[in-house]
Parts: sequence; structure tokens; C-alpha cells
Amino acid sequence: MGLIEGAAGQLNTVGYIVLMMIGIYAMTGKSNLVKKLVGMNIFQWSIILFVVSLSAKRDASIPIVLDGHGGGAAPVLDAAQYANPLPQVLMLTAIVVGVAITGVALALLLRIHRQFGTLEENELLERLDASSGS
Amino acid sequence: MKLLHLVATAVTGLLLIVGSLDLAETGDPAAPAATHVSPRYIESGLEETGVENMVTAVLADYRGFDTLGEVTVIFTGAIAVLLILRNGLKGEEDEA
Repeated sequence: MGLIEGAAGQLNTVGYIVLMMIGIYAMTGKSNLVKKLVGMNIFQWSIILFVVSLSAKRDASIPIVLDGHGGGAAPVLDAAQYANPLPQVLMLTAIVVGVAITGVALALLLRIHRQFGTLEENELLERLDASSGS
Repeated sequence: MKLLHLVATAVTGLLLIVGSLDLAETGDPAAPAATHVSPRYIESGLEETGVENMVTAVLADYRGFDTLGEVTVIFTGAIAVLLILRNGLKGEEDEA
């Protein structure tokens, strides 16, 4: 029971873990390479959502100072009033890198499809065996 | 075979849920992630960089070189896509 009660206080984390499990299953259990790529993206987004959720603070605003240049002296800022900006910055970097990875992976898939005419893993393995055997 | 994948996925998920029990509650202002490094950036970011958006301040000022590396990653990705697809086209022309 401790597991269920403890997890109930972290429902969002459980949601991200479920997303991650969907991603893992798509990456390992599916034989279509495009489905594997979609699974990898779901996996990646579950991690991004999880880390962004670490930046949340109760009763805090988004990390933007309103009227920062309004008048004379710089306002005195209280860290508890603003959400943590650091996880958001790091995940911004992760999103950009993820887009680059997805682009290269899609290009590779296009090339594989041109060469072999299929994206199913078992058919690809058969054709590789046939081409190396002859 | 499908069953093996399902079992492996379920075991991984259960381990992750057990691990997540020790995390601080979401939204807790006293969580370690909110109390150690980030207050420094929130409290003196505007004064030091003059940028109202703290995410922008950290991304483009404190971690400027990291962002430069990020641009390098995108550039490398674009070049890789270009090379992969162009070689493919050339190969097809040669075969035809």
C-alpha cells in the first residue's frame, strides 16, 4: 500500500513514467523503424516534461520579471515568487538537440527506404542477408 | 516475444515509480531543486544581465557558450542530413 499512497502524491511523475513506458515499448517491441523513432520521441518528451515539472513552485509565477525596467532602482526579487528557470533552460537545449537527432534519423530512414524499399526490421534483415550471401 | 517486451517495460516502469517516491513533492518551494542554485539566478539575474526573462538571461548570457555549442549541433545535423540525402540521389543516378 505504501507504494500506491506514495505514488498518489506524485501523480504527474507517474504520468511521465507511463509515457516513458509507452516509448520504451515502442522502441523495443515494434519492428517498423518509423514507429521506433516515434517511440524514441515519446521517451524523450517524457523526460523533458518531467524535468520541467521539477521547476514548478506552488504560488509562484513564470520566471519573468514584470516592470523590470520600469523605474530607477532594480526591484528586490524573492526566489519563492518565481518558478525555477534552470530546468526550463536545460530542457530548451534538450528539445533543440532532439529536433536535430530526429532530423538525422528521418534522413537515414529515407535513405534506407530508397535502398531497400522497406522499413520493417525483419524484412530489412532478410534483404541484408540475401545481399551479403550472393 | 511481445510478452518479453511488455514484461521488461513493466519492470522498468515499476522501478522508476519506486525511485520517484523519494522525490520532493511537485511544487514544493522548499525542494532541493528550488533552494540551492536557482535563487542566485532569480535574485541577481536582472541586475547582472538586464534581461527581464530569466530563461533568456541564463540561456543567452550565463550559458552563452552552451548555446553556441547547441547551434553547432543543429549545424552538424543539417550537414549530416544534406550529405545522407544527396549521396542517395547520386547513387540512384549512377545505377540508372
